[in-house]
Amino acid sequence: MTVAAPGVDFKLQARDVRKTFVTRGGKQVVALDGIDVHARPGEFVSLVGPSGCGKSTLLYILGGFVRPDGGSVACDGAVVRGPGPERGIVFQEFALFPWKTVLGNVEYGLIERGVPPAERRERARRYLAMVNLAGIEGSYPKELSGGMKQRVAIARTLAVEPDVLLMDEPFGALDAQTRAMLQVELMRIWESTRTTIVFVTHALDEAIFLSDRIYVFSQRPARVKAVIDVDIERPRDREAMLDDPAYATLHHRLAQLLRSEESADDGSGRAG
Amino acid sequence: MTAADAPAESRPNPLLPFTGIAIVLLVWEFSPRLGLVSSGSVPPFSDVVVAAFGLFADRDFWGNLAVSAGRWAVGLILAIAIGVPLGVAMGRNRVLFALVDPLLTMSYPVPKAALILIFVLWWGAGDLSRIAIIIMGCLIPIVISSYHGSRAIDNRLVWSARALGTRSSAALFAKIVFPAALPQICAGLRLAIAISIFTLLASELLIRQSGIGSYMFTFLDDGQTPQVWACAALLATIAFLLDLGYVRIVHASLRWFEGDV
Repeated sequence: MTVAAPGVDFKLQARDVRKTFVTRGGKQVVALDGIDVHARPGEFVSLVGPSGCGKSTLLYILGGFVRPDGGSVACDGAVVRGPGPERGIVFQEFALFPWKTVLGNVEYGLIERGVPPAERRERARRYLAMVNLAGIEGSYPKELSGGMKQRVAIARTLAVEPDVLLMDEPFGALDAQTRAMLQVELMRIWESTRTTIVFVTHALDEAIFLSDRIYVFSQRPARVKAVIDVDIERPRDREAMLDDPAYATLHHRLAQLLRSEESADDGSGRAG
Repeated sequence: MTAADAPAESRPNPLLPFTGIAIVLLVWEFSPRLGLVSSGSVPPFSDVVVAAFGLFADRDFWGNLAVSAGRWAVGLILAIAIGVPLGVAMGRNRVLFALVDPLLTMSYPVPKAALILIFVLWWGAGDLSRIAIIIMGCLIPIVISSYHGSRAIDNRLVWSARALGTRSSAALFAKIVFPAALPQICAGLRLAIAISIFTLLASELLIRQSGIGSYMFTFLDDGQTPQVWACAALLATIAFLLDLGYVRIVHASLRWFEGDV
């Protein structure tokens, strides 16, 4: 596996990232064992792998929420030392601020930026419209469905126009139909904003539909097992894609890679 | 018998709660009159009501009530001002927690009423002791609920805020940690209100000198039983209304909250 040369043209790059955790019993568990991952500007990159392999941990390291024990992460060439609005994040559980209205949530980052009230209201409304949620500005998160909450979360992050959008199994908590609908929405939004996206999932159809490239991770201690280019032409039709033979080949290949990981797990440390 | 044949569950008669109260009042009214209990200790309900009106007309009643209310308010406000930030900070800082928690755990089972005498020895029988004992009484529930409120916060909320540009710990505290912990904090405050009233009254009954507890005790000394009962009933009513009012206010302010406070 060749290490990507230090490129100024990479939006986000992780080089030889390592992370070790100490369990309650004092045991050292290596979660990430030298990971090289990168995303070019405007690319949609997915991280797939068996449950608990550490792909979310890598995402948090990319975002600056977790410090790696080895290696480094650079965003636009600058070393990432902590979280910041350049790297937005969307979580599976939405993480909306429950005490704020939908508008309050979306405006949050703009308030932190110091955007004046009239302009930030307009911008917030624009991003809500982009996720097809115009009209619910005054609602509280508890009144929304899961799909709506996630769209608010996406709008909230996009409103600060981050360089990179990190998504941690964002549709995992949603039912199949909402999930499919949001995948299409995300594609539409990405086609118009062309934000660089790093997307964690373990749904292969989702990864193939959304991504330009897919990193496949091994079981813990995680390494990059393969990097797959998704050569299906854009714009992609979610239904029609399923009939594309290229899709079937890719799906088969990915499933094979993951299956060998699952059987390799000797059950000694079933990761959570 | 299928589900369709099962009788529909009828709603309980809405008059039932009032019926329960009415029964108690009737028993209260007639037991002393019929000699079932000594009317010297348990005056009939109607006598208590008359005595209550007498209290309303008594300037001393209002004066003492005001004194008590002042102590209570100061004690409670100070307990909140100390306890909430302390509890929330303990939830986020392990060192602080390790320092403070043992002290709280040790003082938790100590009956605060016993401490009243110690405070009196130390500070005399004035307002300082009364206020101190109120603070002692309700500090622990406030700290504990604030602590749990801040511990239970989903860390992803904090991370989201950081990824939206909030940098300093202080800003995260004020904008994210505190509002997220608020429902739990409010639950603890409700308890603190009840405890503070109780502690205040206990100290006034014990040390007397002034305040509604002392005022009430005087009637006991003089054998004016209906007035004693009237005082107790009025205090109970005030406490009940405070609690009711508090719950209403919290519900209105925390409309965004998904659970129960």
